Amino acid sequence: MSIAIRKPAKGRTPSNLWRHIFAWVLIVFALFPIVVVVSSSLSKSGALSTGSLWPSKVSFNNYLMLFTDSSIPFGRWMLNTVLIAGINAVISVLIGMFAAYAFSRLRYRGRKQSLQALFLIQVFPSFLALAAIYVIFERLYKLYPVIGLGSLGGLLLVYLGGSMGGSAWLLKGFLDTIPMELDEAAKIDGASPSQIFWQIFLPLTVPILVVSTLLSFIGTFNEFVLASIFLQDVNTRTVAVGLQSFVGGTFGANWGPFAAGSVVAAIPLVTLFLSLQKYIVSGVTAGSVKG
Amino acid sequence: MKPSTIASFAKVSLLAIASAVLVWMGFVAVLASDWIIAITLGLILVFANWVYFSKKSVAGKFLFPGSVLLVIFVVVPIIYTAWMSVYNYKTGNEITKDQAITQLHQVGLVPDESGTTYDMVLGKYAGKDAVLLTDQATHAVAVGTADNFLPLPEGTFTTNAQKVATTADGFTTATPAQVADASSWLTSFVVPQGSGKFVSPQGADVAALMFEKFTFNADNSVIEDSLSGTTYVDNGNGNFVSKTDSKNVLYPGWRQLSPTENYVGLLTDPKLSGPFVGVFIWTIAFAFISVLMMWALGLVLAIALDKKMRFRGLYRALLILPYAMPSFMSILIWGGIFNADYGALNNLLNIHVDWLNDVWLARLVILIVNLWLGFPYFYLISTGALQALPTDIEEAAEIDGATGSQIFWRIKLPLIFQILSPLLIASFAFNFNNFNLVYLLTKGGPVDVLNGQTAGATDLLITYAYKTAFGSNEQNLGLACAISVIMFVIVGVLSMWSLRRSRVLEEM
Repeated sequence: MSIAIRKPAKGRTPSNLWRHIFAWVLIVFALFPIVVVVSSSLSKSGALSTGSLWPSKVSFNNYLMLFTDSSIPFGRWMLNTVLIAGINAVISVLIGMFAAYAFSRLRYRGRKQSLQALFLIQVFPSFLALAAIYVIFERLYKLYPVIGLGSLGGLLLVYLGGSMGGSAWLLKGFLDTIPMELDEAAKIDGASPSQIFWQIFLPLTVPILVVSTLLSFIGTFNEFVLASIFLQDVNTRTVAVGLQSFVGGTFGANWGPFAAGSVVAAIPLVTLFLSLQKYIVSGVTAGSVKG
Repeated sequence: MKPSTIASFAKVSLLAIASAVLVWMGFVAVLASDWIIAITLGLILVFANWVYFSKKSVAGKFLFPGSVLLVIFVVVPIIYTAWMSVYNYKTGNEITKDQAITQLHQVGLVPDESGTTYDMVLGKYAGKDAVLLTDQATHAVAVGTADNFLPLPEGTFTTNAQKVATTADGFTTATPAQVADASSWLTSFVVPQGSGKFVSPQGADVAALMFEKFTFNADNSVIEDSLSGTTYVDNGNGNFVSKTDSKNVLYPGWRQLSPTENYVGLLTDPKLSGPFVGVFIWTIAFAFISVLMMWALGLVLAIALDKKMRFRGLYRALLILPYAMPSFMSILIWGGIFNADYGALNNLLNIHVDWLNDVWLARLVILIVNLWLGFPYFYLISTGALQALPTDIEEAAEIDGATGSQIFWRIKLPLIFQILSPLLIASFAFNFNNFNLVYLLTKGGPVDVLNGQTAGATDLLITYAYKTAFGSNEQNLGLACAISVIMFVIVGVLSMWSLRRSRVLEEM
């Protein structure tokens, strides 16, 4: 490890070799499951043959099955997931942005206390309150089936409940870096707080809003527990619940369609992530560098 | 129109739509006489209009939508959880005491000792739903309504060849269509005969004389079994128990307020505290080792790639792939890789190791998979921290004669640790509650079911609480809520402490 902090040598010296070797070892580790899932999706049986990482005969059967087998409404699952994760991401980032603006720019009584309370509430493993959530939504179902137990609308409401705790912190951190002089100048020009928000802050924060929306989208995409309790009907499932149902029970039989479904669902997300990599990385590291 | 006019027009229309929806929802709730929901909606309506039309509360305008959702769907469930944790709320003790007593009356329904049964004809008597009953043994005839049992004297009814009464004075026999519809009232229809006996329909044309063997005495909260003469008393813990034989318990019981039972039980009842302490230790060890491993690997990687070198961009893109993949998917894929029968690892190496069914192997697998999931994030934040280090300290240390390894271990590492400590603590808290990883990979197993164990070798507190509350066997919601509260306290204290340490609060 001591090599690491030697003064950087000029040009290509042997000291670079260990860096390359180390990186490649980790790349193999990082790529192994990805290669496995891609190759399984292309293998007819869905299982890997002994001693080989690549199927001897490439078959697209598993992919065909996803979109033709009527017992696997995979397209429906994708649609459900995109709808619920998309709507949730947009609304919750907007709500988070409202809250972040109030926390960062407005001075009001009980501000510090409300921030601390929000911080604590956020820490509670909320899905352990499942029993209570279940009771509430069973009751709502009797009156308004659209947002009751078993509906995507109800699940959306549960997710939105956490929206203020979710993105508000990241956004507040960003808003704090915008100089105060900006809003003071606007105030002198006679702008109201809501004008400052809509016409100055919102346009300024577009990049971080995009990152927050994407992170929220990925978060919802990955959410499994609430979705699996909420959505029992096969047609209302999200991708996470649907794919888990392939391999959650008796393993093996459905490994092929699971692998194919994973590849189809992961490609758009990973592409999006990698293309916005620069912004996400700066968002993620912002916390550490601020210290 | 001026922008401000458009804005206020948009505001008023949005509020109008929201109010209309709230009023409609409130109307539905009032119709169903669900007052809690109706009052909640009314309060939201009043507050929303007050906040957005008042000139005073500027902050309220921005915080209102998020706060309402937060309170209803997060804070209320948390309070409910804490409240449930002080109840003896488990399988067999799920309902209220009144509901339990009603159900016990039904459990205590036994056929009359003489086994009296009736042929039954449905119809109306004095405008009410009624049945015409013929005792199958004595052929005595009576009319029964929900209020009373009225024996009919000979000559006021007509019988068929089987001596079953078919019509009677004042009794209108139901048409076949009415009989088909009768199930709506027949299911809850009984004819009281006095002294705890009543006639209960057993289908559309037969009824039986039933007898309620339990009588509840509300004055001293005691249930008497009039058949065996046993007296059952309230044991103060949600059940009626025989006065003489403590093993003779009546079910269902009810949820009983018992403020300390769940918490004390976790520490003292060997059946509960054994698994709890084991799971607790593993949870802490898992979270600690995970963070340490991820950070070590991420930091070394960050140091290795901290220098301009060929392919660095490519390496970086490949190395953050695990972070870009949807994590639930990666976990399921790893679960497949480590599967004993079909798994890629066993197939590739041509071995047969049952990775997930051995206590220590399963724990190792969990840690390896978590390392895979987490090291790219730590690589990213360590890179950020390395770049944030002041450059002059290295030179100053060199002038003072420090060696390369001294500079790293004594100066750089402590500085990086200081910079990253809030994120390390956040990561610890996240892994402390890493439900998805354990649930999707091992379901907490392996569990030594044969030895009566309830917790698995890889169970974290959160998966253990989940199993306790919603598991397939015996469910104990009260206990699960108590575990949740304990976890909340641990993670909450830890987070508050780190928040204070990082002085974020002062900056607020």
